[in-house]
Formats: sequence, structure tokens, C-alpha cells
Amino acid sequence: MSKIRTKVFLMLVAMFSVSIGCSATLADTEAAGKKGLSYGEYGRPTTLDPITSNDMISMRITELLFNGLVGINNKQQIVPELAESWEQSADGLQYTFHLRKDVKWHPKAGQEAQPFTADDVIFTYNIMMHPRTVTSLKVRYDFISEVKKLDQNTVRFTLKRPIMNALPKFTFKIIPEFGPSNAAFLGRDDPFVQNPIGTGPYRYKETTANGEVVLEANPDYFKGAPKISRFVAKPFADQNIMNQALMYGSIDMSVLVNPRNVPEIQGDKRLRLQSYSALSYQFFGYNTRNPLLADKRVRKAFTLAINRNEMLNSFFNNQGTVISGPFAPGSWAYNLDVKPLPFDAAEAEKLLVQAGFKKGSDGIMVKDGKRLVLTLKVPIAQESESVKRVVLAFKTYLRRVGAEINVEFLEWQSWKEAVFANHDFDIMFASWVFDDSADISSLFHSGEIGAWRNNFGGYSNPEIDSLLVEAKNTLDHEKRRTIYRKLHERLADESPYTYLWTLTNYAAYDRKVRAVQIHPYKFFSYADTWYIGEGGDDKGADAPAKATK
Amino acid sequence: MRRSSWKAIASVLSQELVTTAALLLGVSLVVFLILYLAPGDPFAALLGGRNLSGAERDAAFDALGIPRTWYGQYLAWVGHVLQGDFGISMRSGQPVARELFSSGMNTLFLTVGSLIVTLGVAVPIAAYAAVQPASLRARAGILLVYLVSALPTFWLGYMLIYFFTRKLGLFPILSGSDETQEYSWLFALLPVVLLGLGNGALSEIVRYLREEISRVMSEEYVRTARAKGASVWRHAYKEALLLPVSQIIAAKMPFVLGGAIIVEQVFNWPGLGRIAWQAAQDRDYPVIMAITLLAALVVRLGSFMHRAVYVAVNPRASQQ
Amino acid sequence: MKTNFQQDVDTVSEYSQLSAWQSASIGDRVSVGYGLCVVLVVVLSYILGAFGWLPHDPDAMDLETMMAGPFTNGYLLGTDFMGRDILTRLILGIQAYFLPGVLAVIIALGLGSLLGVLAGYWRSRFETSVTYFSNLIDSLPRMVLMLLVIAAFRPNIYTIMVVFGITTAPTIAMLVKGKVMMLRERNFIESAVALGLSSRVIIFKHILWYNCRALLLIQATIGMAEAVLIETSLSYLGFGVQEPTPSWGNMVQAGANYLMQGDFWPSTAPAIAIMLTVLGFHLLGDGLNNIFEGRRNR
Repeated sequence: MSKIRTKVFLMLVAMFSVSIGCSATLADTEAAGKKGLSYGEYGRPTTLDPITSNDMISMRITELLFNGLVGINNKQQIVPELAESWEQSADGLQYTFHLRKDVKWHPKAGQEAQPFTADDVIFTYNIMMHPRTVTSLKVRYDFISEVKKLDQNTVRFTLKRPIMNALPKFTFKIIPEFGPSNAAFLGRDDPFVQNPIGTGPYRYKETTANGEVVLEANPDYFKGAPKISRFVAKPFADQNIMNQALMYGSIDMSVLVNPRNVPEIQGDKRLRLQSYSALSYQFFGYNTRNPLLADKRVRKAFTLAINRNEMLNSFFNNQGTVISGPFAPGSWAYNLDVKPLPFDAAEAEKLLVQAGFKKGSDGIMVKDGKRLVLTLKVPIAQESESVKRVVLAFKTYLRRVGAEINVEFLEWQSWKEAVFANHDFDIMFASWVFDDSADISSLFHSGEIGAWRNNFGGYSNPEIDSLLVEAKNTLDHEKRRTIYRKLHERLADESPYTYLWTLTNYAAYDRKVRAVQIHPYKFFSYADTWYIGEGGDDKGADAPAKATK
Repeated sequence: MRRSSWKAIASVLSQELVTTAALLLGVSLVVFLILYLAPGDPFAALLGGRNLSGAERDAAFDALGIPRTWYGQYLAWVGHVLQGDFGISMRSGQPVARELFSSGMNTLFLTVGSLIVTLGVAVPIAAYAAVQPASLRARAGILLVYLVSALPTFWLGYMLIYFFTRKLGLFPILSGSDETQEYSWLFALLPVVLLGLGNGALSEIVRYLREEISRVMSEEYVRTARAKGASVWRHAYKEALLLPVSQIIAAKMPFVLGGAIIVEQVFNWPGLGRIAWQAAQDRDYPVIMAITLLAALVVRLGSFMHRAVYVAVNPRASQQ
Repeated sequence: MKTNFQQDVDTVSEYSQLSAWQSASIGDRVSVGYGLCVVLVVVLSYILGAFGWLPHDPDAMDLETMMAGPFTNGYLLGTDFMGRDILTRLILGIQAYFLPGVLAVIIALGLGSLLGVLAGYWRSRFETSVTYFSNLIDSLPRMVLMLLVIAAFRPNIYTIMVVFGITTAPTIAMLVKGKVMMLRERNFIESAVALGLSSRVIIFKHILWYNCRALLLIQATIGMAEAVLIETSLSYLGFGVQEPTPSWGNMVQAGANYLMQGDFWPSTAPAIAIMLTVLGFHLLGDGLNNIFEGRRNR
């Protein structure tokens, strides 16, 4: 008996001492031998092509693999990419792009690299607009009436009508004509969407069985070979573990740090925390088809009833800004004169009473025998834990003014069907991410009501409609800004949404990664000039923002 | 080993092969039917998300070479599996077999390692408790085992990471990039220990082993051996340890595989469990069917191993 | 475990349960006593929760007092990541397990007894098919099967518990079958048939009630413990009971998000509740097993 026990004990001791011995050497080899960069992701990308992918994880990867005709630099200026120059016709209806002649597609295994030509541009546009292609991009490009190849390196886009600030729209990524196996339209079952071929700084190498997407530097990149030899996207099912992995050096970068981990990463000398502001905001959207929510006083009362500052402070360490209207505060369209509604539960109750509600014996408001009981539908995302807190807080705040909210968490696909296709919801929670055109007409114009359109709440108001059309038809930036400021004011009062806040996003990375600049939502746009430094510390692209409490 | 025992094992093997084949067929049918009865159309993605009328749908199925009836689809699937073709993952578009192979190896490593941990903990405690049932130490050991088995696995995993990795700096949290793969066994220690302790079966295993050992200890031949001053364990290990241990492995294989799903998630371990979880989220039917079948196969292997050990220890048993 | 199989059980009628309790060891008495206390607390909590007699509003947030330790500001067991009262949510969390767990246990016992009796009583007719069915269920790891059912249908605690019940049935069937075969070996069944008792009376009264009730009770306690652990694991995977409905599993899961930053309490409190409860059920089952089933031939 005693013999067995001793043996087991010795075995355990051996196990522990071995592990201590090795972890030291391990750290050394890791620091010395790595030229690549591995970053943690919240899951696996669905597809790796720029057309069918619609999640942020895929978008970050396609940013490394593909290029658009033009790009946007970190000062928000339009810069040449696949097109080296362009002209705009006097009437603003024609855009002619002169393509670079030295661009080659990533070579397929054992084959010559093929040159990039005007045909690829036309092919990309056509496949993107094909009715059977699975993509969310179509609506963005229906202002184009036709694309013509003038010669091998020149294409001309003709617009249906002149639009302001059209150039940023030509940042869409170009795919090769020989890429997809079906030349007419692109579906998720096409092999191309998992084996992408682009022109970008990195080439797709493989997806390992662990779900890691491995990209290799493209030595023939037309802007010069990138400095980091490879990018590896590592999926994590558990975001707490992802943060631990970052802190213990098994990944070099985390693209989005959870607010609760910000103080911890700030305290780690090895890591740098970098803020990047996304043009996005979170909101609760109302279904105005529900007669209870058709009254703007009810929607406004809901906004008054919730304490947005308290939530921002408690759940996000104050890393963000409470907003008053349908634009992100970083956007030129945001009207700073409109102040966010204060937290005022008494005023909220007053508004509900004005709207014809009476408090019932159980504390729930009643109007014409109808109790103010509403269903809130929320998508479960990988990083949804803070969302959960916001949603539950919303429920609690509203309970205090007499509205009962039943929260339903749905997986992404069924949530989209419920909200966008079937309009089977009373309140929904989501966030919008904008490009810099700040175009909100698809969100609130009554012509955008319908299945899979963005005006999911069925909001309809002739005054807003005409303002939106007026803004769209104005080519003058200042005039348009004035209209948008007016829209902001009106939509703040109308409250088709309860606007919450814009959150400050943080990326965290090992200080050995240098010259890091981050695009607000595409993230890796400037990654071809990042590099991995040896020893010491540089100043970095910009000083890490201090989180203030 | 005597020749007769080889013969006996061979006969068990042939019996077991027939049973296994019949069971796998049954398992695959059950799994197929569950998925078939599920709401939603598993072919929606294939048909491009269109709503087709009956005739259109039939035509589309014919064009894609998919049988129209459920049993036709099932038989087609079985036919493909018999040729080693598990289909294409609906999420990634990769062949399922390829995806499962390497992650299967990772899970195998995890489960085998965890079984060693489980037995390394359970056998000494059980043996001690069987020999000294009334002692305080035996009771404390058993109570400890019960406490550990009653904790949520993932919470225990978080605690292990917190104390060993964060506070003591003992284990790297998980494998780094491929350059460091030669140390991969080291990363495995924590998950292996967690699965070994936290698969929820530890307390049952200890209890079972304790009863088996004490039963054998009280048998005539053991008592005789003890009286003669011979080593008790040399006479009794086959019946008191080998048999129950193989029985345990066979019976607890499903639990270990199930526990692996949680442990792989906690340690970001690239195994079958994570793939199963992802497939459950994506409703990736080909993947989930293949995983279920594979799991059933592993369970049957465990059961076969137990039968073989049983017959090897006691050759006459096979002639019954 | 299939241990009870080989264990001998005495004859049916002359065996007094009172004397078994009197002859039980101190350890077994302590186990059963503790287990009964846990059962009492669980039932009491269920009643409190069902009638809404709770110390706090389970959804009331106190954002000033988030993640507080025990005995803070009138929160007996502290608050969680939303400043909600942990004690209240622990009490209410029982609701998530009680009925689903009972359902699972009923399915497991019912189906298990049915199969066991079929295979043991009418051996020639049913044994092969029951064995096949049991092996079939046993071949599917429970967690994998649950993921499959969750993938096919929706994550719902009742569906999950039905699966749990069905997957537990084979174990019980084997135990019941063992009992029946043991009775047959002792010519008990033949004598009963000779006495003119109908099969129904023999099966329900003499086999299941007189001989299997202790065994079934033990399996029921173990089943309740398992139900808690299963829901906890599924909560971690995101498939358990969904917030804002509290369950111990989703409380541990949500609290664990803050564990790495050193906020142990919000996840440790429900984890301890789980541990004490599961331990109680297991010890109860074990103690009963030792007293009524095992150790009597020693």
C-alpha cells in the first residue's frame, strides 16, 4: 500500500519540476524567433472574400488580402491604390480610373502570377451586383449605372445621378476574374470564398484544423513587401482566455479589448493599449408598427427613463460618449448643439401619462386595457457579455417607470430574420457602423420599409423623408451639413431609436509591434507598414490613450 | 499468455465487431433522424436560400444529385461514409474528414492523458479506502474527491489558470505560434489535469474501485495468500485492479469525451469538442454527424478493450 | 455504475428498513443526514422562489454596489456583476432546475424500470433488443448528444433534461434487470407465479416496490445532482438557461468573466452552492446505497 502512494507522489513532483524548468526557456525562444504576428479573434471568419463576408472578423482578414481602386489614408484622404490616377467628368456623372500596370494577383500554387487588369474590375462589379450573389454590398452601389472598359488599364464608371463624395465608395475590394468557379454570381459554396486570391500585402496560406487563418507576406506587393512575415488569426471561444493569452504572450495582439480588461492591460508594461474610434453607436430601435410604440412620447419616455451615464460608467469604465442623435460624434454630421436627454424617471412617467397611460395595480402602465409589455430581441454575439448588462439594465430602468420588457436572446441568424425580415419584435438592440458619408437615409426613409431593408422599425414621417431627400440631392457639403444638423435635431425629438453611446475601442498589442496605425473599422488597412522591432521601445504611432475614470 | 486466451480474445473481437457495426448503424440513424426532424431546411444554403415549390425542389435535388426521400439521403450518406467520405463542412467548405483528423488526435491526447490522471488519483485513494475503510485519512480522501467532482468544470479550470498561470507563473496558458510546438506537451498539463479531475466521473470511479477492491480483498484466495504471508497484490491485482480499471475506462469514456468539450473551450484546445460546439452553433450537419459517429466509435473501442481484458483474465468467460 | 449487479440482496419481505438504519455506520448516517438537510434547503428554496418570498427583487440593480462581498449594505451574500442580490438569485435559481430535474428523473426512472423489467422478466423476448437499445444510448456521449439536439432544436432546459433522462435510463435498466434476475435465481418469481399472482402484481408490487425502491431513490438523488452540473456546463457553452432568468449555471458563468481580475465572489458563491448541493445529493445516494443495498454481506 505505502509503496503505491510514494510512487504517485514522486510522479507528481517530477511533473511540476519539469514544468518550471521549461517555462523559462520557452519564454526566451518565443521572444527571439518570431517575426510573424498572431492576433486573437472572437471566432472564426465565415468567408474570406470581400463580397460574401459580412462579419468584422472576415472583414479584418480581407483587408490584408485585397485592395480597392482607391484607399483612404489615416488622415481621411483619398489615396491611389489599384488605380494610380482618376478623373471626374464636369457633370459629376463619370469617373475614369487609370489602373496600375505593375500589379499581379497572388500566384496559385505552382503557377505564374497573373496580372491585374480592367477586366477584373468589371468582373468584380458585375458579380457583386448579380441578384444571386450573397452580399450586403449591393445597396451601396446601386448608384452606378454602368462600368466600361476603355482599354486594358482604364475603366469608366457612369453614375445614375451625381452624388456627393462618390470617391470613397470606390474603395470596394477587387477580386480576380479567374478566381470564383462560377463567373456569374458568388455564393458561399464557391471554393473561392475559402481560398481567396487578392492583390494585397498578404497572401492566404491556409486555415489550420484549429481554425487559425494563416497569411503570408506577399513579397511582390505593389507598394513594397510588407515587413511582418506573416499574420495568424487565432480564434478564441472564450474571450476571458483570449485576454489571458495576450497577457501571457501566446498572441501578440487583440483587436478589441473588453472594457473590463482595460485597466489590467494598462498595468502591463509589455503591452500597449491603443484607442481607435469607430464611427459607430449602439441603440435600442423601436418597432413603430406596434401602436404602443407609434407615439413618440412613449419612445422619448423610454430614453428619459434610462440612465445612460450610469451604464456607461459602470459597464464600460466610461470609455465612450453618450449621444443625442443618429450620427457618431466623430462624424461631421453630428450636431453638438443637441444635448442628450437627461435621466429623469419622473419626467418619463409624466410623458407616459400624457400619452394616455395609467399605472395599473401591479405597477405596469395600461392604456385602453393594453398593458405596456414589450419584447426586446437581442442577438447573442461572441463579445456579448457587456451587451447583456446593458440590456438587463434597460429592462430594470423601464420596470421602474411601469414598462415590462421581456428580453429574448437570439442567435444571430434568427435575430436577423425576426428583426429585418419578419419585423417580429417590439424593441431591438444593435449598433450601426458608418463610413464617413454618414448617410442615414436607408435607416429612416419611409421608402426603405420592407423585408431586409434597413428601416426595420417601419418609421415613417414625411418631414424626415423630405429632409433626407433634400440632403441626398445636395452636392454642397456645407448645405448638406446644415440639413443633417436639422435632421439630427428632429430625429432626436422623434426618437425612432433610443440612442445610447459611441464606445471607444481599444486594441492591445505587444510593444515589439511598431508603427501601428489602426483603421476605425477595417482595422488592418495600414498593416503593410507595421514592423516588429528588436529590443527597446519606440514611441509608437500615437501615445496610448489613458483610460479616465 | 496462453494460446487459449488469444483464441478467446479473437472470438470476442469477432462478436464485438458485429455488435459495433450494428450499433454504429443505429447511432447514425438516430442522429440522422434527429437532424431530419429539426425545424429549418438543412439544404437551404445549398439551394441558395430560395423558397422552392415541391416540384422545383425535386428538380433542384435531382440536379444536385441528392435523393429526395429521407431514407434515400440516409443511405446515400452511409454509402459515402463507408467509402471514407464524411462530406463537406457547410461552414468552411472543407472535407469533414480532414478537419476531424488532426483535432481528433488532439482530443485523443487530452482524453488519454486525463484518464491517466484520473486513475493516478482514484486508484491510490480507492485502494487505501478499501483497505482502511474506517481511517480518517480514507474518509478525508473520499470527501475531497467528492468535493472536486461536485464543482463546475469550467470554474475549476478558471481557478487553475488563475492560480497556476497568473499567480505562480507555472504553465504557459496555451500554445503560442507554431514555432513553439515542441513544447506543446507542456501546455497540455493543465487541461489534462482539469479533465482528469473534473469530468464529473471521478467520485463514481473512486467509489466503484473501492467496492471492487474490498470485495476481492475479502475473497477466499486472497485471504489464503495473506495468511501464507505472500504478497496480496500479486495475487489480486488482476481482479482487483485490472478488471475494474478496464471496466471504468469503458464505462466512463463517454463522460470523458463530454467533459473534453468544456475543457477544450476553457483552454482553447483545438480538439473535437470545440468543433462540435462550433458545429452546434452553425448547424453544420455533416460535421456534427461525423463527430457523433466518431464519438460512438471511440466508446465502442473502449468497450471492446474491456471485453478483451476480461477474457484475457478469465478465458472461460468467452465460452458462455 | 453497474456495481449493484453483483451485490447480493436479501430476500424480500423479512427485511426491515428500520434495522438497516440502526445498523448503519456513523459515516453513513452523517452522509444521509447532510444529504437530507440539502434536500430540505432545496425544497424550501423552491417554495420561497415559487411564492416570491425573496430578500430582494432579483432584477433590481444597484450599480453603486457591484460585485460586493458578503454582508455588504444589507446584501447577505453580496452582489453580482450588475449589483443584483446574489442570495435572492441563488434562491430563485433553484426554479431553473427543480421541475426540469424532476422531469429528467421521472423519465430516467420510468424508462429505465420499464426496460429493466422487460429484459429481466421476459428475458427471452426482450433482452436482446433492450441490450441493443442500452448500448446504443451508451455509445452516444451525453454531452455530444445534447449539442446535437441543441443544434437541431433550440437550447431549452426542458429539451435538454429530456435528453438527460433518456441517456440515464440504460444505467437504471441494467440495475433493475440485475435485481429481477437475482430474484429469478432464487426462484422467487417462480414461487410467486405458482401462488397465482399476476405478472402485474409481481412486477409492480414485488419487484419494483419491494426490491427496487431504494435503488430507484438512490438513482433519483444522483440524477438531481447531475441535472445541476449539466445545466452549469451548458451555461458555460452559452446553451443553458438564459438571462435574466437566474440559474446557478449562468450565475457562475457570468461571474467567471470577472474572475481573472480577482473578483472571485460573484462566481464562487454559486459555485459553492452547486458544490454543496451536488455533494449533498451524492452523499445521500451513497449513504442510502450503503444502508439499504450494499455492505450487508460483509
